[in-house]
Amino acid sequence: MAYEVKEEKSKDGRKVMRIERDHLLELLKDMKNDGFDSLSLLTCVDYRDRIEVVYHLTNSKTEEMLVVKSETRDSRMPSVTSLYESANWDEREQYDMMGVVFEGHPNLKRILLPEGWVGHPLRKDYDLSKVQYVNMDDEGNDYVSFDPGDGW
Amino acid sequence: MKTGDSGFITTTMDKAMEWARSNSIWPLTFGLACCAIEMMAVQASRLDVSRFGSEVFRNSPRQSDLMIVSGTVTKKMAPRLRRLYDEMPYPKYVIAMGVCVIQGGPYNQGYSVVLGVDRVVPVDVYVPGCPPTPEALTNGIILLQKKIRNETER
Repeated sequence: MAYEVKEEKSKDGRKVMRIERDHLLELLKDMKNDGFDSLSLLTCVDYRDRIEVVYHLTNSKTEEMLVVKSETRDSRMPSVTSLYESANWDEREQYDMMGVVFEGHPNLKRILLPEGWVGHPLRKDYDLSKVQYVNMDDEGNDYVSFDPGDGW
Repeated sequence: MKTGDSGFITTTMDKAMEWARSNSIWPLTFGLACCAIEMMAVQASRLDVSRFGSEVFRNSPRQSDLMIVSGTVTKKMAPRLRRLYDEMPYPKYVIAMGVCVIQGGPYNQGYSVVLGVDRVVPVDVYVPGCPPTPEALTNGIILLQKKIRNETER
């Protein structure tokens, strides 16, 4: 193996692998060849100085589960859509909520919040005191503003 | 009450219109969250709201005259809600069902929730609860009927 993996057990007995960001795609490709053919969950944890990205893989034949954790300090990650199609919307959600930019994603734009929303709400440094208001223009597109008289 | 000339007939006509209108409220199917489950129970066989003169739920805003807003209204949904309300023909009424719709409820501190649907559309009857029981919503609809017939005590 060309990369280094730190293995540990989680509290519920699940195998957890920690991997450097540069070797994430190689590891996931090997795991997919080993039978972990489904990406059941993709999520992020904000530790203020870094963001940990967590991949939950499932082997659909043996129903074995595996957790792969990787972390980023500059909010950039390689996209795994080339390996798992289900990562498409999951990565868009993580981009929307946590601001992690997945490089190589085919359509990386906001999925839940309107286009033009300022900031990423699940980040620890998101400013909740600045309320944003949403309205729809004549063509049916959303627009966001900080003016309370301009939407809801 | 006037006697003799046409005034007498006009008032009774209004009363008759109000009575007919209040007993054929067609609500719009508009469920946003968990309150919609209770709204479905109101319409279903056990608590059948048709007994009180409120007909089947319509799927088109152009055929309905009551919007029961049941569930959390998010900021992304608010312009769509306003648009559906604008598509409904007059006379139209709104029931705010559940505490989320009234003032934000448990999501009051959230960044994405509209703090009360009365900021988006005018509300006639508020039904509090989280979620309100189906009986409470039935009571709300009866209150709205009284309001349409100008019988409410303020």
